[in-house]
Amino acid sequence: MGNSVVGAEATALISRIHDETTWSLGRRIRHAFVSVVARAYPRVIGAAREPSWLFFDLVFPILGMCSIVFLLRSRGVDEAWIASTILATALLSFWISVVWMMGAQFHWERDSGNLLLYITAPVGLGAIALGMAIGGALGVVIRAVIITVAGVLLFGAKYQVADPFLLALVMLAGVAAMYSLGVCLSSIFLISGREADHLGSLLNEPMHLLGGVYAPVRSMGTVGVVALGILPLAPAIDALRQVAVPQLAATGILPVGVELLILLAMTAVFGVIGRALLAHIERVGRAGGKLLARAD
Amino acid sequence: MPISAGSAPGVRPFGPLRGAAADAARSLVASARLAWAIEGNWAEPIYLAAFLIIRPLAFLGLFLAVLNIGGTLNVATIGFVVIGQAVFQIVSAALEGPTHALLDDRERYRTIRYIFATPSSLLPVSIGRSLVKASIAGFSALIVIGAGVLLGVPMRAGGPDILLLVAVLPLGLLSVVGIGIVLGGICVQLRNDAWAYPQAVSSTVFLLCGAIFPLEVLPGPVQNIAAALPITWWIEGLRRALLSTTSPGMLGTMPTNELLLALAVGTAVIWLIAPRLFVMGIDRAREKGYLDRNTAS
Repeated sequence: MGNSVVGAEATALISRIHDETTWSLGRRIRHAFVSVVARAYPRVIGAAREPSWLFFDLVFPILGMCSIVFLLRSRGVDEAWIASTILATALLSFWISVVWMMGAQFHWERDSGNLLLYITAPVGLGAIALGMAIGGALGVVIRAVIITVAGVLLFGAKYQVADPFLLALVMLAGVAAMYSLGVCLSSIFLISGREADHLGSLLNEPMHLLGGVYAPVRSMGTVGVVALGILPLAPAIDALRQVAVPQLAATGILPVGVELLILLAMTAVFGVIGRALLAHIERVGRAGGKLLARAD
Repeated sequence: MPISAGSAPGVRPFGPLRGAAADAARSLVASARLAWAIEGNWAEPIYLAAFLIIRPLAFLGLFLAVLNIGGTLNVATIGFVVIGQAVFQIVSAALEGPTHALLDDRERYRTIRYIFATPSSLLPVSIGRSLVKASIAGFSALIVIGAGVLLGVPMRAGGPDILLLVAVLPLGLLSVVGIGIVLGGICVQLRNDAWAYPQAVSSTVFLLCGAIFPLEVLPGPVQNIAAALPITWWIEGLRRALLSTTSPGMLGTMPTNELLLALAVGTAVIWLIAPRLFVMGIDRAREKGYLDRNTAS
């Protein structure tokens, strides 16, 4: 055993290992912050370097928005609903990001081999997920703005926002609740294996319907009320509609303040569940060796 | 059987087919079986059925909820949307099918290089994959039509117009698969976002083909483009075969004979061009080394 370490040398080595692996709270927070920024960076800066991503991120929602607007016009409905549709499409760009860029992300990262790198790096999956969420939300803001402007220019929609601060608060709470749910979805997609893509598809149109995105959630009856309590899209769009399109305030199912509280509660609850799920997949993945590695 | 110099082994017959046709048919059947294993066998049948039922019904529910904003719906309007929405399930699957099959084989399963190395052409392979995707979507279409019946949509008295259905269904399907394989030949040459182009085309077609609203709602010049799409004629033909009513506006005034002729000519033109464009696209992709790359997209 020529390499054995004994005596004072061993004590010094143990002390050094202890110092290097036992981080203070401040150092852990700093490290987590740097990790969050590092993961958010490609979401904001990297995405801007690839114009085709921006193009497709805008084309699909705008085409969908046009379909709904023409459908509304074929029925000759109040133009306020067209303003509401544009707003809903902007909000949906966040939801699409939550489903595909949060939910499906770890699943894709596993297929490309990156997930193993995340696990072997001295970074928690929680910090990575938070970075994905913050970067994703910031990246989508510009898309949502472009969609709204395009909708206003194409269809002449008009908004009457009496309280811009409340509008911003509702938007922020809605986005936070959605991305918080996205952290939960990222673990669920990873566990679901090759059903992940189909799961993503199921989280689109069915959720648009349940969330009352284009038509008032009130029209969904009891299902709409349930959706209001579990699906961030529902209270978010219902509140946005009441704040930005006052002509449709009567279609709101709950007062804006209550919906704001629901969104904040969702952010906290989904955040806690998401953290637990991430810890679970990390534990199971390390133990079994299959969950985090590409199949081939 | 030992192969001696100067006597290449002949292609095994496939039913009544011989030579290249037998080879193509065998490739098509093999790729269709593979497509079923990939598309239809990814989950327990109960989950697959749920997936095939939930999404199209949610789509339908979404459109009906939006239509309902304008006041109480009549069954004719529901019927219009139901057939358009049902048929578009197939359109979307067939348009996106070939591209997704090629990209799946290149990026995900990394088998395209091996398929290309076989004596078979990628054309029947892509068609087979596309047809199975369209067939699975056909199940969703039936579900949507069934939901329409439950909602009281008045179907054609005495059942569907079988003759019209037999004429329209394969023509429309062929035209959509033809456009799909052209997209496949183009998208396999693309570096980024190749997956997204067929979906963009599909979404644009959905907007234009009068699936859920009459063409007259579209801006003037766009109406002419919409009225020239074979998919528009296909959906209208199926509406006539299943509902026995015509669409409101310009499409409704077109006699059924002319509609059929236009669909037949459109499909023939597509199939005169599509295989050539597909082969050109694949040949170019091979020359540039695109069949062998992984864009990690």
